[in-house]
Amino acid sequence: MLDDNELQKLLRLKRYEQPSPEYFDKFLNEFHRRQRAEMLRRSAWRIAWDRVTAFFSEQTVGSFAYAAATALVLIVAGITSLNIVTSHHEAVIAQAQPVSAQPFGLNTRVHLPDFNELSNQTAHSATASLRPRYVMDARPVSYEPTSSF
Amino acid sequence: MAEPAPVNEDTELVARAQAGDPSAFDRLVVKYSPRLYGLVYNMTSNHEDTNDLMQDIFAKAYRSIKGFRGKSSFYTWIHSIGVNMTINFLKKRGRRFQMSLDDVDANIQNDKEFIELTATSNPVREADLGELQQKLNEAMMKLSNEHRAVVTMFDIQGMPHAEIAKILGISEGTVRSRLFYAHRQLQAHLEEFRKNNI
Repeated sequence: MLDDNELQKLLRLKRYEQPSPEYFDKFLNEFHRRQRAEMLRRSAWRIAWDRVTAFFSEQTVGSFAYAAATALVLIVAGITSLNIVTSHHEAVIAQAQPVSAQPFGLNTRVHLPDFNELSNQTAHSATASLRPRYVMDARPVSYEPTSSF
Repeated sequence: MAEPAPVNEDTELVARAQAGDPSAFDRLVVKYSPRLYGLVYNMTSNHEDTNDLMQDIFAKAYRSIKGFRGKSSFYTWIHSIGVNMTINFLKKRGRRFQMSLDDVDANIQNDKEFIELTATSNPVREADLGELQQKLNEAMMKLSNEHRAVVTMFDIQGMPHAEIAKILGISEGTVRSRLFYAHRQLQAHLEEFRKNNI
């Protein structure tokens, strides 16, 4: 049986399985030609995508960092949307409160809004908008015969 | 063949290529194409496929050069691209591959080691070495892609275990175990051939 040394000698011979030096002279020219052809053929989106993937493939940031960044974006988005909803609700209440035209004084009667009425109105308008419609826009079905002979 | 790459020169060329100097990248292509050719050819055993893959490897390296941060040497980086692209190619090629009889290279006949091997008295002397080498190519192609990559880099290209481990992203222990297994397979295959020809 071939021992390790003989096998390694045989394998080392394979390093001489190289093309002629002219091949490597032509290789660079061929590389330039293919590069030019590829640039003409590729779309701008494809080039941009390759650059983005190349950038991320080189980053050694761990998956934990990506997960943390995604979580942070989600949290910020959540807080922002919550703020928008809250400020909208406050604006609705502010519009419902009438502002007294009279100047305030110690003996001025302050007109406080009836919060029960206000909440009833709000609830009423909310239920009115949520109430299902039972009137159909379609033409009612007629059971009478459409033609007579 | 495994002389260490002059790192400073590569670093300078990479920096110039990243700054948009195409001639710097050309110099890297000229410098590393013979070595990469050996790697890819001994994994594919086909000159045409090797040529196409070489072009693709350098094209990918050119597109990605701006993202190269220098955490490994350019030598390791370009070899990683080469090995990964070649393994992907071989997976796609699958079993469509037919071994070419031209794969035994004529340059070997003039090689000093080849003459020495034919002249010394050993079990392989009786067999036709050209045919033995053809058999070796066949045996190489019977190895898995990962085992062939390790044999190519260690036995043919003379890279140290540590460098191979970095290129493949595996431990040195895994490199050694893959080499051991691959050598046993190659020896078994060549032994069959030797028995039939003596």
